[in-house]
Amino acid sequence: MAYAYLFKYIIIGDTGVGKSCLLLQFTDKRFQPVHDLTIGVEFGARMITIDGKQIKLQIWDTAGQESFRSITRSYYRGAAGALLVYDITRRDTFNHLTTWLEDARQHSNSNMVIMLIGNKSDLESRREVKKEEGEAFAREHGLIFMETSAKTASNVEEAFINTAKEIYEKIQEGVFDINNEANGIKIGPQHAATNSSLAGGQGGQQAGGGCC
Amino acid sequence: MYLYSKSFHASLAPAVDVGQEHERGAGVGESSSPRQNVRKNLQFEPLSTTALILEHRPANLPAKSVEEAEKHQQQYEEMVAQARKRELKEAQKRRKQFEDRVKLEESIGNAALTWNQEILPNWHTLRSSRRVRDLWWQGVPPSVRGRVWRLAIGNDLNITHELFNICLARAKEKCSAAPTTAISTADTGSSHADREASLELIKLDISRTFPSLCIFQQGGPYHDVLHSVLGAYTCYRPDVGYVQGMSFIAAVLILNMDTAETFIAFANLLNKPCQMAFYRVDHSLMLTYFAAFEVFFEENLPKLFAHFKSNSLTPDIYLIDWIFTLYSKPLPLDLACRVWDVFCRDGEEFLFRTALGLLRLYEDVLTHMDFIHIAQFLTRLPEHVPSDGLFSCIATVNMTCRSKKWTQVLQALQKDPERVSPVPKH
Repeated sequence: MAYAYLFKYIIIGDTGVGKSCLLLQFTDKRFQPVHDLTIGVEFGARMITIDGKQIKLQIWDTAGQESFRSITRSYYRGAAGALLVYDITRRDTFNHLTTWLEDARQHSNSNMVIMLIGNKSDLESRREVKKEEGEAFAREHGLIFMETSAKTASNVEEAFINTAKEIYEKIQEGVFDINNEANGIKIGPQHAATNSSLAGGQGGQQAGGGCC
Repeated sequence: MYLYSKSFHASLAPAVDVGQEHERGAGVGESSSPRQNVRKNLQFEPLSTTALILEHRPANLPAKSVEEAEKHQQQYEEMVAQARKRELKEAQKRRKQFEDRVKLEESIGNAALTWNQEILPNWHTLRSSRRVRDLWWQGVPPSVRGRVWRLAIGNDLNITHELFNICLARAKEKCSAAPTTAISTADTGSSHADREASLELIKLDISRTFPSLCIFQQGGPYHDVLHSVLGAYTCYRPDVGYVQGMSFIAAVLILNMDTAETFIAFANLLNKPCQMAFYRVDHSLMLTYFAAFEVFFEENLPKLFAHFKSNSLTPDIYLIDWIFTLYSKPLPLDLACRVWDVFCRDGEEFLFRTALGLLRLYEDVLTHMDFIHIAQFLTRLPEHVPSDGLFSCIATVNMTCRSKKWTQVLQALQKDPERVSPVPKH
C-alpha cells in the first residue's frame, strides 16, 4: 500500500518491561503472556492514518539489557520517534529512565519525539511507581506520557499514534527537514505524487518500496 | 480415515501393515474379531455418499424413472470409485512415510552404533578422518550427541566438578542475600550493580527461554538446573556476568548432558574467541566479525549482497540473534542441534557459513523484499526451515575468498581496522 510518510520508531527501556509485547499488541492485536527474549533487535510495521494521510510506522524493538547498550545506541540513528518504556511494578526500571534518556538524547537527532510509557497498568495491585511520578518525570524532561497495558491493549494504539501525531505536527511546523533521511522520516510515493507542495519541490525522492 | 473393505485390504497387502501400525499407534488395538471385520466391511461403503443416495423414493413421492435410477447408480459408482482411489493414494502415502521413518530410524540406529563402538573409543585418532567428518556432517545421533559435543568442545579451562560446586554454592549464597543488595544498588546505576542485578535477570529470563517447551519455566523439570548453571557462571566469570542469550545455550546443553557437564561445556564454549567477543559485547570486534562475514556474503551471493546494501540492511540486524544463541532461538530445535553438531566440528566459521546458507535458501524471496520485510523475515524465520534444504545450501557456501580462508580474512580485518566501518548506518 502506498504511504505518504514513513516514520522510524525505536522502542527502548529495561529488559522485561514489555517492549516486545507492546509492539505485538500494536501490530497483531494480541498478547503473549510469555514472550521470547529479544536479542539484538526485532521489527514491526503498521500503517496508520493521521489527518487523512497514510503513514507507515517502521518500528525497531531493541534488547533491554545494559550489556547491549552499545549495540542499541547505533539504532537511534534516523529514528523520528522513541517509546521509552518502564514497568510500573518495578521501581528500578523507572529509576533507570535518566540513563536511557541521556543515551537517547545523545545518539538521536534533537527533534526525535520521545513518548514515556509506564507499562503493565493492568497490574494495579503490584504497582510500585505512581502515575503522578511518571507524569512529573515526563513534564520535567519534555516528554509525552502515557500508562499502557500490552495485556489489555489499554492505551497501546494511543501511545503509538499520539507519537506519530506529534511528529506529524513537527513536520507541519517545519521543524523536521523531511528531505533529510537522518531525521527518520521518508516521503512515500503516495505523498510525492499527490502533495508535492509539502515536499518542498524536491519531491522526486522515493522511499524504498511502497507496500506495507 | 479407515475405510478399507476386507477385499481392499487383501488386494493391497503391504498397506495392511501401515493401517495396523497406525491403529496401534492410536490405541485402537489390532485384534481382528469377526465382529470388527463386519464393521469394517460396512464402513467401507463411504457413509457420506450412501447417505445421499436414496435407492427408492419414499412411498408418498412418485417412483424414480429407470433413466434417473440408472443415472444415480452411475453417479454413485463414480463416487465410490473416486473414494477408493483416494484411499489407495493415502495408503500409499502412509506406507511411504512409514518406510521413510523406518529407514531414518535404522540409519540413526546404525550411526549411533558406529559412533559408540568405533568412533568414540578412538576419538583422537578418528575425529579428523574423512569418514567421521562425513558422518558428522549428516548429524550426530541424539543418543551420543552430548558425548560428542563434550569431546569436541573440550575442557581447556580445566574446570573440575569441585570448581562447579564451589561456584554454585557461591551463587546460591548471593541469591539468598539478594533482597538487601537489590535495595542498596537500586539507585547507583553502576556497572557493579548491574552485575549483581544479573542474578535477578537470570530469574526473569529463564521463563523466557524456550517457553514453548515448558520445561525451563517455574515448576518445570529443568528450571533449577538452568538457574544453577547460569548462576554458577556469573560467579565463575564475574567480569562477563550473565548476558541475555546465554540461557539458550545453557538450555540446549542441559537437554544433552548432566548439570556439571553442562557447566563445563558452557564455560568452555563461551571462552571461544567468537563467543567471548559477542558475550563481552566487544562492539568493535563484533563489527570485525560482521565485516568478515560481508566479505564472504559478497563472494557467495553477490546479487543479494548488493540488494541488502541498497536497502541499508546491515548484518548486525540478523547476525546478533543468530550468533548469540548459536541458532537455537531462530531455528527449530532439532535443526539447531544439527548446526551445533557441525559447529563443534568446524568452529566459529560454521556459524557464519550457516548464515550464508540461510540467506541462500531464502535468496529468491529476500531479493523481492524491501528493508522492513527483510529485517522482519530474518529476525523471525519461518517456523519450518527445511533441514535438508538448509544443509544442502550450507554445503554450497564457499568459505574461501580470493584463496583466503575465514580466519585469514578475519585476522586481516583485525589488523586493519580502517576497513571495518565504525558504526553501522541505518
